[in-house]
Amino acid sequence: MNRFSRNSLALAAAASALAFAQPALADGDVTCGAGPQENWEPERAVSRKAWQRGWEVLEVLVQGDCYEVYARNEQGQAIEAFFHPETLELLVMFRRGREIFRKDGFTG
Amino acid sequence: MSWRRILLWLLLAVPTALMLRQYASGEALAMHMYHPSGETALRLMLLAMLVGPMTDIFGPNRFLRGWMAIRRNLGVAAFCYGALHLAFYFIDMGALAYVIDELPLPSIWTGWLSFAFMLAAASISTDRAMRRLGRSWKRIQQGVYPAYLLACIHWWLLDRDAGPALVHLAPLLIVWTLRLDLRRIRKHRNREQTA
Repeated sequence: MNRFSRNSLALAAAASALAFAQPALADGDVTCGAGPQENWEPERAVSRKAWQRGWEVLEVLVQGDCYEVYARNEQGQAIEAFFHPETLELLVMFRRGREIFRKDGFTG
Repeated sequence: MSWRRILLWLLLAVPTALMLRQYASGEALAMHMYHPSGETALRLMLLAMLVGPMTDIFGPNRFLRGWMAIRRNLGVAAFCYGALHLAFYFIDMGALAYVIDELPLPSIWTGWLSFAFMLAAASISTDRAMRRLGRSWKRIQQGVYPAYLLACIHWWLLDRDAGPALVHLAPLLIVWTLRLDLRRIRKHRNREQTA
């Protein structure tokens, strides 16, 4: 016990705690505030919505209570967009992790 | 090349085979390969970087000596997975113009810079380069520290979540802290003995 100082043990413990606390810290998820899935619009509806914007859709996923669309926009930029699954409204959009659009007042 | 080394490289190539099969079968898109290829690169790099401090902490033993003997292979393999990661990136983007267009994004240039540091280290990984470069060999190899940190930042920014990057940073922080501590204690003890 004497081989390491108390400080270093505390730091090591903190680092491991940080590593194991990972799920609790996860904040990368978007919450769209949607109700039960049976009221959701089908996936092809959100694909159409993206297509109408001039995007090339690569993939549509259910992410939490959102539809998440991976696509290329008209400028060929790789984008990741979150749509409300009931209203099909675009809520937030990222380009390689950087937020490039957020609907007014949306905080999820 | 000894049969052991061949076996090691066959083992190191297994994730590549799995990824290529998944991609070639059409089961996955190029963009789905970002995560497995990048994560494998980072984990191999972690294995290469852990063994030094661990040998300092626990003293040499058979297990650590064996691990140390393959350290350079692990580092080169990590670089290869970085290159694979980049290859999938080019396939996914489809055109050089798009790649250049997103170069200024922090989540992207951190990845490129990390790769550049790894490229420098991997390109001098032969015994001949080691002999010829002498002291500067080590300095160039130390570029893997910023490479690792940049790769973690790259992951964090893309994921919009620091969790996975922190998990891969934590083991290094732990062994570095312990090593630093042991050095201080040893120095202190030496001073007491000579006094």
